Amino acid sequence: MRRRTTSAVAGAFALALLTGCGAADMTKQASPYANAQGARTVTLAVQSWVGSLANVAVARHLLEHELGYRVDIVQVDEVPAWDALSQGRVDAILEDWGHPEQEQLYVEEKKTIARGGDLGVTGHIGWFIPTYFAEQHPDLKSWKDLNKYADRFRTAESGGKGQLMDGSPAYLTHDKALVKNLELDFKVVFAGSEAALLTQIKQFAKEKKPFLTYWNTPHWLFEKVPMTEVMLPPYEEGCDADPAKVACAYPTAPLQKYLNADFARDGGEAADFLKKFAWSTEDQNAVSLMIADQKLSPEEAAEKWVDGHESTWKKWLS
Amino acid sequence: MSTTADTADHTPVFSVDGLWKVFGPKADRIPGDPELAALGPAELRARTGCTAAVRDVGFDVRKGEVFVVMGLSGSGKSTLVRCLTRLIEPTAGTIAIDGEDVRAMDKARLRALRRHRAAMVFQHFGLLPHRTVLDNVAYGLQIQGVGKNERRERAAEVVAKVGLAGLEQRRPAQLSGGQRQRVGLARALVVDPEVLLFDEPFSALDPLIRRDMQEEVVRLHREEGRTMVFITHDLGEALKLGDRIALMRDGRVVQLGTPEEIVGSPADDYVRAFVRDVPREQVMTVRTAMRPAASAEEAGSGPAVRPDATVSEAIEAVARAGGPARVLDGGRCLGVVDSEALLDVVAGVTAGGRAAGGAPGSKSPGEAPAGLRVPAALATTGEEPV
Amino acid sequence: MAAITATARKASAPGVLTRPAARKLLALALVAAILVPLATARWASGSWPEALTVDASGPLAGASDWIIDNRDSHPLFLYFFGHVSNLVVVTVRAVYLALLAVGWAGVTALAGLVAWRVAGIRLALGTAVAFLACGLLGMWVPTMQTLALMVVAVTASVVVGALLGLAAGLSDRMDRVLRPVLDTMQVLPAFAYLLPVVLIFGIGVPAAVLATVVYAAPPMARLTALGLRGADKEVLEAVESLGTTARQRLLTARIPLARRELLLGLNQTIMMALSMAVIASVIGAGGLGDRVYQALASVDVGAALAAGIPIVLLAVVLDRVTGAAGANLGQAPRPRTHWLYVVVGAAVVAAAGRLTARLEWPDGWVVSLVEPVNRAVGWMTDHLYSGVPVIGGTADWAARFTTWVLDPIRDGLQWLPWWSVLLVVATLAWLIGTWRTALTAVLAMAAIGVLGVWNPSLDTLSQVLAAVAVTLVVGFATGIAAARSDRVDRLLRPVLDVFQTMPQFVYLIPVVALFGVGRAPAVAAAVVYALPAVVRITAQGLRQVDPAALESARSLGATSAQQLRQVQLPLARPALLLAVNQGVVLVLAVVIIGGMVGGGALGYDVVFGLAQGDLATGLVAGAAIVCLGLMLDRVTQPTERRAKKGA
Repeated sequence: MRRRTTSAVAGAFALALLTGCGAADMTKQASPYANAQGARTVTLAVQSWVGSLANVAVARHLLEHELGYRVDIVQVDEVPAWDALSQGRVDAILEDWGHPEQEQLYVEEKKTIARGGDLGVTGHIGWFIPTYFAEQHPDLKSWKDLNKYADRFRTAESGGKGQLMDGSPAYLTHDKALVKNLELDFKVVFAGSEAALLTQIKQFAKEKKPFLTYWNTPHWLFEKVPMTEVMLPPYEEGCDADPAKVACAYPTAPLQKYLNADFARDGGEAADFLKKFAWSTEDQNAVSLMIADQKLSPEEAAEKWVDGHESTWKKWLS
Repeated sequence: MSTTADTADHTPVFSVDGLWKVFGPKADRIPGDPELAALGPAELRARTGCTAAVRDVGFDVRKGEVFVVMGLSGSGKSTLVRCLTRLIEPTAGTIAIDGEDVRAMDKARLRALRRHRAAMVFQHFGLLPHRTVLDNVAYGLQIQGVGKNERRERAAEVVAKVGLAGLEQRRPAQLSGGQRQRVGLARALVVDPEVLLFDEPFSALDPLIRRDMQEEVVRLHREEGRTMVFITHDLGEALKLGDRIALMRDGRVVQLGTPEEIVGSPADDYVRAFVRDVPREQVMTVRTAMRPAASAEEAGSGPAVRPDATVSEAIEAVARAGGPARVLDGGRCLGVVDSEALLDVVAGVTAGGRAAGGAPGSKSPGEAPAGLRVPAALATTGEEPV
Repeated sequence: MAAITATARKASAPGVLTRPAARKLLALALVAAILVPLATARWASGSWPEALTVDASGPLAGASDWIIDNRDSHPLFLYFFGHVSNLVVVTVRAVYLALLAVGWAGVTALAGLVAWRVAGIRLALGTAVAFLACGLLGMWVPTMQTLALMVVAVTASVVVGALLGLAAGLSDRMDRVLRPVLDTMQVLPAFAYLLPVVLIFGIGVPAAVLATVVYAAPPMARLTALGLRGADKEVLEAVESLGTTARQRLLTARIPLARRELLLGLNQTIMMALSMAVIASVIGAGGLGDRVYQALASVDVGAALAAGIPIVLLAVVLDRVTGAAGANLGQAPRPRTHWLYVVVGAAVVAAAGRLTARLEWPDGWVVSLVEPVNRAVGWMTDHLYSGVPVIGGTADWAARFTTWVLDPIRDGLQWLPWWSVLLVVATLAWLIGTWRTALTAVLAMAAIGVLGVWNPSLDTLSQVLAAVAVTLVVGFATGIAAARSDRVDRLLRPVLDVFQTMPQFVYLIPVVALFGVGRAPAVAAAVVYALPAVVRITAQGLRQVDPAALESARSLGATSAQQLRQVQLPLARPALLLAVNQGVVLVLAVVIIGGMVGGGALGYDVVFGLAQGDLATGLVAGAAIVCLGLMLDRVTQPTERRAKKGA
């Protein structure tokens, strides 16, 4: 018995010694897969929508082929990505739609995340109906007209009400509050991911059925399924302060890049490159379309785009 | 039910007295309470929720004898044998091995007892399935801390002795039932214990194999003279192997005696019913049927039989000679048996059989063979008179 | 005498059977008669009364914020969780680097040789082929990442599980404490485990590994305890009779005697760890799961399959090899030198790989599955989705299923007064179990109400009920077919094997393609996922029916339908009940994940919580999932707790 206790104590001691005995800050522990085999590694966060995939694919291609890095891609939703970025498990986010709370905490207070500049794309979120339906019903222009058409948007899933489709739960959305506060006879149905929502939209479009969806521009989908925005009450500074009482449109925001603070300082070429990385809505859409619609792999799509737009990306490397 | 008086000068190997084992809540109070102790099993259970597996049992096991505890299932015999080495902790009573109090032993002492002095053979063998035959046999030595080479060497000897040579590297799963029990036997023998305890070792075996194994035990006993305590529910086995038999019912010993005593003078109706179908002529000796010689002529002629010859042997001799046979013990004529007396024994209507109480008077219990007794199965060849 | 007792028993049988049930119902009716008027008088609402809820999200959000603020400064994190996290990172990294250093040829050779040593030549070839296939699909690096994570997680699970199992196996008190906890943990959906670890460790590999350990350790613990407790009593007695010390008994007898259970535990732990390692990609596990997760985000069935196939291959190989190790127990051991061959062989191959600088999987050797698969899926959606004459397209089915099945169940459940839901739960649980199970079930259900997620939970429940109904109908039918025809059984077996090891995510893709978005696809995925277990248990149960009983029925001239109805099904009742229980547990797990394809309700709340960093919402939903799982398990759990499940 005594021997067992001693050995247990010895074991605990050895473990403590092994782990360094001192403090271990888990917020400074990188991914175990990073920098394997001596390669310089950059870890990029990708979000579930295709635009984000396009950014990351092009950045990855250039980092790997022009700068000789090894790139790990981790799929993390936006808010957790901030946390991961702060911990250094991810080196950069290339497309952020605006998270003032996190920005305040990590950039201003903790200073573990550094701003990486504009992506060059301006994002806008709104409610959309297919253009074919808008043309048939020109009077459907704003939220005030929606209740009239509620029964046209009815589906099995929304029961007696009209259906307002939302995508991934990761998206910035006040739709539930909006429906309630604007007294709309609609029900928000979450598709669960952008991909699921896309599939659904395409199927509706194929049959020319009406639908109302939360969507964002820029997006390649507009080239496949033309959609028209339904106006919401105009956005004013601070009207979305209380999430439960929101009754106004989404703000329009230039999309931002963020880098882990240490990476921004010591990341060398890769960090410089990512800070300079900026492209137009059209460029992003071109790559997105190749990935999502032509079903090219992100690597192939990126390669294609890089081959044709040397002048654009040369600037990022200088 | 009295323990047979020990007339020999050496102390018995096991000496058990007033032993109780009660299962159930607050079992301790039962043995001390005469009112509760007197209850039958059903009432005891109803009153206290307890079951008395062993009730007030006492006996001595003498050195070198085969002591059989026999009873039907539920009679407490398996519990009893486990109490001897405290695999089951007794509730009350005393147990002594070579005069040393077993119940007073501390853990280390008790382990030493189990390691060196008493080894047990189990009904379902209790072998370790992940070890080879050799390692199973050597297990007891390993426990004692014997080095690998030595224990394997010793184990191999015993494996050969029980007739398993060549199977050392098999696993128990690859053996037949009889072979497995030989491994169990070897495992018990290898530690060279003072006493071998057998808990219904052969009841899981086929009849033919069982007989082989019984022969094996007889042989071992004859060769080594080791003391054995043998539990069985099979009367035939008990009679065949036992020097003395304790017959148990509901936790009590209802009769203790030589096979001949049990068969010849059943203590009560239960025992009588039990032994009714036993071929008496193969168990009873001629002593039972003997009468004093009526005349010198009768004492001087006729075929001779030994006093411990069975009745069936005497019948053969009498039938051949056509007249009474003499019972000779080293040339001295103890008496004669005639066909009538022998037939009475077979029919179970002899005076000795009737007047059970008087029977022991005609033969001194102390004369019961204390050492090696030639079992009936082997004795059939002994027709030749001494 | 015998005849009298026999007839007496016969005469009283129906009475004995019905009386306890009637008594239970009567007692419940009494309780209800007293409590229900009270409840309605005070809180007369259909849904759970507001007054009885406790707002947990406020404090939880506070706790979550506090943790994020203090993760890099508070001593608890610096000196404890930090080390745990660090240890995980360091070990996963070490294993990962080791795997990369050995190279693809070395890893394949090592895996193949180990499989050969443990399970024979056929499985060895299978193992090698499986690893090569991972490389061929272009998934070598993700496979190694998953493998590294698995090695660490499984090792930790086995150590933790074995220690807990040892405690429960040796101490009755520990057993009483641990057993219900372990039993319950095993029926909870994997998703419920994610949030608490994320709360403490944040998103990343440490959280993923720890969630995996928590999820995968219970089977090891249960089976260790079971093995130690189930050891042959007589062997232990024999060992004791030889004068062993307690320690000798444990080391030389109890543990070796429990080897079969230990290996089974290892097997189950590995399988559960693998499935969790995939799901944990939601919290940053990386590796193959992450590839599936990424593919899901772009409805790329081809890419999902390319990552899903290596997972299935890994699962099948690990399952078969550990299974074979268990089956080979008790046979003559192979000589030890074989291990030498294994080490030497692997070392030689690894060295050859190093020397020829072929550590990384060659780029040219990649076969792309993505395009052909996606073309097939595209064809399916084009032709089957809608407008198919007569039977209608899959979308129409989904819509009809939603309107005619899911909606009525959900609306019905939500319409029911809250106390009547509790009453129904109590009745079911008590009829099938004891008053304890009934109490647990009712308390679990009430906890859901108190947490303030009554309606979403009933929504989830309605999906579970619908999915379970479909699963049971299809599963029993298929199971009966498989039990009655060897051919069907042979055809089904490999299919079931593969389906049972598929990562749950992979199921979500095709159902979205087929059924669109909403609750119907979530239910469909759940059905597909739960079906194999139900079919297998049903078929096994029917096949194991006492042949003597069947023979006697046949000798009486029963038709095969009569045999089935009157002999096989009644005798296989325990197996069928087990199938129901398993079906419910598995369906719940996938219905929750269905939140990612529009299933809504609790699963959506968890995903939402993870995605928005709103851990409070997620944790409340997670707790509700736990309660729902507990309730469903208790309601379908026959009293005689089976010795071991999931085997």
